[in-house]
Amino acid sequence: MVHFRKSSLSAAALSASALLLMAACSTGQTAGSGAPASSAAAEPSASVSQSLGADQNGVPAAITAAGGTEKLTTAVPEGVAAEYGPICKGSDLGIGKIDFTTDTIGWAQSEKEANPFRIASTKSQVDAAKAKGWKLLTTNAQSNVQQENSDIKGMIDKGAKAIIFSPINSTGLGDAISYAKEKKVAMIPVDRNITGVKGCETVGPQLGSDFVEQGRRAADAMIKATGGNAKLAILLGASGVNVTDDRTAGFLDQLKAKNATGIEVVFQQTADFTREKGKSVTETLLRAHPDVNAIYAENDEMGLGALAALDDAGKAGTDSVHIVSIDGTKGAVQAIVEGNFDAVIESNPAYGPSAQAALDAYVNGDGAPAVTITTDNQYDLSNAQQALDSGAAY
Amino acid sequence: MSAATTTAPTTPEPREPSALKARLGLTNGWAAWLRARGVYLALIVLVAYNAFFTFNFLTLATIQLLFAQLPPVIIVSLGMALVIGTGGVDLSVGAIMAIASAVLARFVLAPGDGGLGASIGVAMLFAVVAGVLVGAFNGTVVAVARVQPIVATLGMLVAGRGIALVITGGALIELFVPFFRTVRLGKLLGVPYVMWVAAILAVAAAVLVRRSAFGYRLLAIGGNRRASVLAGLPVQRTLITVYAISGGLAAVAGVIATARLRASDPSFTGLLIELTAITAVVVGGGALAGGQVRILGTVVGAVFIQLLETTLVSHNVPDSGARIVEALIIIAAIYVQRSRSSS
Repeated sequence: MVHFRKSSLSAAALSASALLLMAACSTGQTAGSGAPASSAAAEPSASVSQSLGADQNGVPAAITAAGGTEKLTTAVPEGVAAEYGPICKGSDLGIGKIDFTTDTIGWAQSEKEANPFRIASTKSQVDAAKAKGWKLLTTNAQSNVQQENSDIKGMIDKGAKAIIFSPINSTGLGDAISYAKEKKVAMIPVDRNITGVKGCETVGPQLGSDFVEQGRRAADAMIKATGGNAKLAILLGASGVNVTDDRTAGFLDQLKAKNATGIEVVFQQTADFTREKGKSVTETLLRAHPDVNAIYAENDEMGLGALAALDDAGKAGTDSVHIVSIDGTKGAVQAIVEGNFDAVIESNPAYGPSAQAALDAYVNGDGAPAVTITTDNQYDLSNAQQALDSGAAY
Repeated sequence: MSAATTTAPTTPEPREPSALKARLGLTNGWAAWLRARGVYLALIVLVAYNAFFTFNFLTLATIQLLFAQLPPVIIVSLGMALVIGTGGVDLSVGAIMAIASAVLARFVLAPGDGGLGASIGVAMLFAVVAGVLVGAFNGTVVAVARVQPIVATLGMLVAGRGIALVITGGALIELFVPFFRTVRLGKLLGVPYVMWVAAILAVAAAVLVRRSAFGYRLLAIGGNRRASVLAGLPVQRTLITVYAISGGLAAVAGVIATARLRASDPSFTGLLIELTAITAVVVGGGALAGGQVRILGTVVGAVFIQLLETTLVSHNVPDSGARIVEALIIIAAIYVQRSRSSS
């Protein structure tokens, strides 16, 4: 008889397995590839509730951290919610004029284009450049910050005179930024601002959404939908991500500010910005808290997962359970039309025209504001069908 | 109880006289019992806790929900148990779930939407075939090219999700298939169909391991590959088959996950399930070094992990706390494993 049983475990195999198993516990940090406007977020480091609460001279701390010093009172262009000075010019950093008919510019996307937000964000850049006849190089860093550094430097080496980029995170792009500065290349960050990197000084003008404001508007929409009375569950985004913190803080702050004491938050649980977790967490929630009649989902995918769970439980429809989510994707806006969602707050990915206009003004014109906060739309039954028809929902 | 539990034949040890002790698996003392069957105890404790402290837990609907959520984890864990039984590991199961889901979507979508317009039955068949093929590829790399399983399947973990993204064009595809509703909600004798599928597959796996020549070869290879080669066993063929089975089971789990979600989500379907499955095998008493397959233990391990997660969510434990609890349990399970090697 052969002795089959090993007398001892291989130490290497054991430790490797242990490492892998430990990694099993980090499920919350997996949204990097698919969460709209999420993952390793690069909002200014100041915590949100303070940042928008504690203004200095009318400028939120988050904006100050991104280089804004004063709110501009001049009329803002369409699609812009607010602009913060100073006005910066490329010549301040020694950046020369760009002739867009002959020069090339670059677009560096941070995450793979596997979710509607990223798809729409790249499409917006490409379409806007095409419409103007600009030459645009594009790269995608697949959520890898080193890749984004080399993407940006690579495009500069290929002759790009300006880089519009979606930063993966706040601290990792110093290499590319200093390289651009050295080569006198204009840098325009979009969709998230970079901590400690000031518009006008280290990079050019920054353009971004205000995630706290999105949370506040979601709270307003929820108060309106429920009439101020609800047992509410919150499906949080991935843990440790600023988009999650901002959208939570804005929502809870606003409930307090509006004195909506009738809305009781009975459940808060992460669903990692994914539809699958949105569904399974909601299924469990419906058993443990059958009285929940309102759900705030911090992105559309989790909201749609919740809807799938509600549908299986025979509770779909806003007369059973109210749903408000953030993003503005087609699926969620369609759910409004079908009577399953109450409202969707948009997180607008279409930075192409605004970023390219800011670049033009920055290098060739009168300058651009250090920080621009873009306008996010909001959908409910009154405009959802129209948003689908016009293609505004992405 | 131990009908589905199999260990590799060991050299005869002095037998305890008590038949009762033998029946309870106590012949090797309490430490060994805890190692092999501690998960049953843990599950009983967890169920008892829920019965007392979780609102609405002891109701038919809650149990049915758990049975609807469990099958993908159980089915993937079965394949993982077999692979670990050979002394390997399959990290690509989550990626294979995504591939199966993507293939299913491509087949079942109408031609106008970029699909093949196949019937759902054909689509499901090809999804499982795709999983088997990917698994067979893994097995070939491991058995023929002699690449370490952890490395070979890690490669497929990365590449497989890429393949799934390519198949779906990178985006989530919503699927409106009436049959999926049956998969999600259909029940036989009050138990969801998907749980029956998982149970049947578990019984099949137990029979395979315990009653077939293939099962003995699998355990022999896990116990000592070199000796198996010398004994003239078809090592390569067996290994390729084991990985193919694991791939096929992962694909079945992928199909069920897709039906549950009513969408093919290549980025997230099955993400990190390999770790849940390995954990299920380990807490179920399986040895990472191979040579042993505990099907019932693995199933109970999978139930335990899923119920633990459900419990933490039900009690609204913050994500950070939940992770710490899960990590402690995994460390405990590995520690119990370790004490065998040092004894």
